[in-house]
Amino acid sequence: MPAFLTAGRLRAAAVAVVAVVLVLLPLVSSPYVNYQVTTMAVFAVALLGLNVVMGYAGQVSLGQSAFVGIGAYVAGYGTLNGWPVLLSFVVACLLPAVVGMLVALAAARLRGLALAMVTIALPIVGTPVAKRLSDVTGGSQGLTVSWLEPPSWVALADDQWRYYVVVLIALGVFLLTRNLVRGRVGRSFAIVRDNEAVALSMGISPYRTKVLAFTLASTIGGASGFLYLAVVQYTSPETLSFGTSINLVVAMVIGGTGSLVGAVLGAVYYVLVPVLAGQLDASRTALLSGAVLLLVLFVLPGGLVSLPRRVHQLLTARRRRSATTPPGAPDGQAGTPALTSDGVAP
Amino acid sequence: MKSLQHPRRLSSAVALFGVCALLVTGCTRDTGTTGGGTEGGAAAASPGITDTTVSLGISSPLSGATAGPGTCSVAGLNSYLEAKNAAGGFAFGDGKTRQVTLTYLDDAYDPAKAVANFRQLVNQGMFAYVGALGTPTNAAVMPIANQQEVPQVLLMAGAGEFSADQAANPWTSGFVPTYSTEGAAFGKLLVDANQPITVATLAQNDDYGSGYLDGFTAAIEGSQVRVVDSATYEPTDTSVDGQVTQLAASGADVLLSAVSVTPLQVGVLTKAQSLGWKPRVFLPSNTSTPATVLQPGGAAAYPDVYTPAFAKTPASPAFANDPDVQEYTKAFEQYGTSITKTYTPHCAWSYAEGAVLGEAFATMEEPTRESFMTALRGISGFTAPLLLPGITIDTTKEDQAAVSSVNLVRYNGTGYEPVQGY
Amino acid sequence: MSYFVQLVVDGLATGSVYGALALAIVLVNRSTGMINFSQGALAVLSTFVAYAVVQAGAPLLLGLLVAVAFAVVLGAFVERVVVRRFEGGDANTAVVATIGLLVLVSGIAGAIWSYDPRPFPSLFPNATLGLGGVFVSVRSIGTTVVIVAVMVLLQLLFRFTKLGLAMRAVADNPSSAALSGLPVSRLLMIGWGIAAGLGAVAGVLVAPQLFISPTMLDFTLVYALAAAILGGLDSPLGAVVAGWFIGVVENLAGAYVDVIGNDLKIAVPFAAMIVILALRPQGLFGRRTVVRV
Repeated sequence: MPAFLTAGRLRAAAVAVVAVVLVLLPLVSSPYVNYQVTTMAVFAVALLGLNVVMGYAGQVSLGQSAFVGIGAYVAGYGTLNGWPVLLSFVVACLLPAVVGMLVALAAARLRGLALAMVTIALPIVGTPVAKRLSDVTGGSQGLTVSWLEPPSWVALADDQWRYYVVVLIALGVFLLTRNLVRGRVGRSFAIVRDNEAVALSMGISPYRTKVLAFTLASTIGGASGFLYLAVVQYTSPETLSFGTSINLVVAMVIGGTGSLVGAVLGAVYYVLVPVLAGQLDASRTALLSGAVLLLVLFVLPGGLVSLPRRVHQLLTARRRRSATTPPGAPDGQAGTPALTSDGVAP
Repeated sequence: MKSLQHPRRLSSAVALFGVCALLVTGCTRDTGTTGGGTEGGAAAASPGITDTTVSLGISSPLSGATAGPGTCSVAGLNSYLEAKNAAGGFAFGDGKTRQVTLTYLDDAYDPAKAVANFRQLVNQGMFAYVGALGTPTNAAVMPIANQQEVPQVLLMAGAGEFSADQAANPWTSGFVPTYSTEGAAFGKLLVDANQPITVATLAQNDDYGSGYLDGFTAAIEGSQVRVVDSATYEPTDTSVDGQVTQLAASGADVLLSAVSVTPLQVGVLTKAQSLGWKPRVFLPSNTSTPATVLQPGGAAAYPDVYTPAFAKTPASPAFANDPDVQEYTKAFEQYGTSITKTYTPHCAWSYAEGAVLGEAFATMEEPTRESFMTALRGISGFTAPLLLPGITIDTTKEDQAAVSSVNLVRYNGTGYEPVQGY
Repeated sequence: MSYFVQLVVDGLATGSVYGALALAIVLVNRSTGMINFSQGALAVLSTFVAYAVVQAGAPLLLGLLVAVAFAVVLGAFVERVVVRRFEGGDANTAVVATIGLLVLVSGIAGAIWSYDPRPFPSLFPNATLGLGGVFVSVRSIGTTVVIVAVMVLLQLLFRFTKLGLAMRAVADNPSSAALSGLPVSRLLMIGWGIAAGLGAVAGVLVAPQLFISPTMLDFTLVYALAAAILGGLDSPLGAVVAGWFIGVVENLAGAYVDVIGNDLKIAVPFAAMIVILALRPQGLFGRRTVVRV
């Protein structure tokens, strides 16, 4: 148990350690490691966007990959047409935001799975649309760029420069989002998520709140698409495929729904699990990653972010068990309301 | 507020853990520039090659919808290489004999994963990247391979871009004939018939379909052959019945069915005849296996079914006594079946590709990637195992893949026979 | 005219494929209140069992029976061992758990049978009926008939049998169902078992067209989900009708509207769906109260 008085200091120390590691890492590690860590930053941003709409505002979205894809296409088109980088970035955020807002305006009155279905349409329809607009998107061959090389006054290799740029932008997006979800907007998200009737009674429009959440999620998704292009240097219709959306939802839940740290952990999972599965047996990756996914959910239904709480829970439960008589009867009796007993504890 | 502390510390712990896990594969800054080999020759050895070994890498879709061809692109290659290793190894042009190791990874047809896999393989000291399947995945890898000067060769992808511009992408080369080569072969057959012919086309809505159509249209230009109707489909469609119904209304003499998905190709064959439309049919080389496509599709009902071919079908009774096929079957049973148990033509193709690698090794004078590329670009008239009579490997053509010609063959109810004209 | 009718008939045949899987999705939702992404994967694994039985030389009908029996046990097992952990918890976590099952079960099928699609025998003769210039395969008719029969059976099950009513009660409100003495955990297992069995029937029906492979139903799943939600998640009738609607609208749009073409035809049923759901959020045949996250 950490002493309460040192909690603040511990926290500062942890932040400092993370910062130092983040700064020093690319200088000592191989281009491959830098690439993978940069990729984690990209997907952490994508998951952050998804978390805004699913975790904080409680609205299912199965279309996040479409916004990542649009952002990547804008960045690619901008690069190939000689736009300034800043302009590419702004448009890469704005265009997905507009698309996301339009879809939300049409769909935000829906709830639950009906809403999910509308969001599925984004990647499903987006893939053929991207192929159709081949003058802009390069069709099914995609867009290849050679972009974001370090300026001459910086003595860094490509991978190091891209690492710093991407991680810095990702940190910026995280900080902005953190302020949003901890402020008034975040509170309205939470109220709409928990009870729309209560929201209405407090003068918060659930419809407008949901539209805002979707717009924010797609803006952040677009930003991650920009970063995606910076790292991968290529984009194609595969980027916005439905499969990517599903994988993003999985990673978000694995990391921890409604948590900024969860988004980071989810991205680490998203990038690392295929690598580990490939190391074990590349021709059995589906089997291995499915098993890992279920295993993590079994142990940590609250996601990786709940690990310390879970450990704490287990420890206290054991202590209590050894101190007093075990509470509750063994489960498995027919008719026992097993669901409710599990559902009470938060 | 105490609860906030846990995730923070956790995040740093997990971040470190994640980084460490990555570092397992090695973390030194200068990886990829120094060689793993000995300094025996005049030139310093490239990474991934020693006096006794050379390590190759491949990333293909090994799970998901394209995993059938993807696993075959690994399994056939692995069979050839391992069988040759077991027989003593590969003789190199520098006089040494080396064992070849093949590391394969799954990219699930995702370009970002393919790039990550490529970088991982380079990081682990891969000498060359060979035989990967998939257009978007290889397109994403191509600029990186050329920038890092790592060979990305004998790709199992027929998009023109991998063979078209060797000056721009000197480190990249294709293996299978480009899609437009196959399309052009069909066009030529029709033009040579010298009579008015109407054609309906069904093409996959990507570089595969458009490559086919481009080659075909270029070949029939100015002739009496006319495309009267065309339709496309998405590889994710579950049925192409609607498209076939649409094309059947044209009543064209010929159907060019550039469909790369096995069940959909069978659907085309069954649907067209059920509508009473029995044109001459052209099938691409990767969806024309008699046992899995033509027989289930009832192809015997059509007056003629043509396909471009360049390799023997191992399961075909016609080749049961062929020594190449027997050797392939023996090797595949030992080294291929753990990767896939289903057959697509890519299994045979990637097996032949292994032999092309061996041919390049045999003429490669220094243990360097440059020397390997020179050797690989200088092969002509080589008869790789499993190739049909008349088909040879020629890597010296500037804008063509290693296999640049195809034989048009005709279905005779059980297998294929040479075409005698339209 | 016959061209138009032919396109409609083709669309209905394709729609029956979507409807078959949609029925299983509806069944799980109706009996457990969940959306099961692994429905297709479980169906594929069961269909592979039928394939193995047929490969061993047995008739397809026996293969179907074995597959259904296997699927019922598999479904109940999966519910008991995996899904129960997530019931009553966060809805997103439960959905992601079923995605995990989807990946795992596909992986198992891939490890055993590899990925390339294999031909699969049909329960129905390989013949075509023609009427006034319109052609339809006996297989499509057979598939449609079986699906309609299953749909009617499901409607009867939920409306008139004690089991069906109890399953609905559990899905609607597990805790009060338990308080009124219903064996909740057993009913959930039965619900998953029946749904998986139905999935096996759907798999065997559509495998001759789609060919059997671990990813056979991956793309179909999206259409099936759309059909299930458009029809109203609790309505078997709605699932089948919506499946047909999607199949037909898609075909007609692709053939008649040049701007849409074959590549964007999928957008049309989705656009229609958004409009319909905006007007009727509970879906075509759904009941308003049952809409849940």
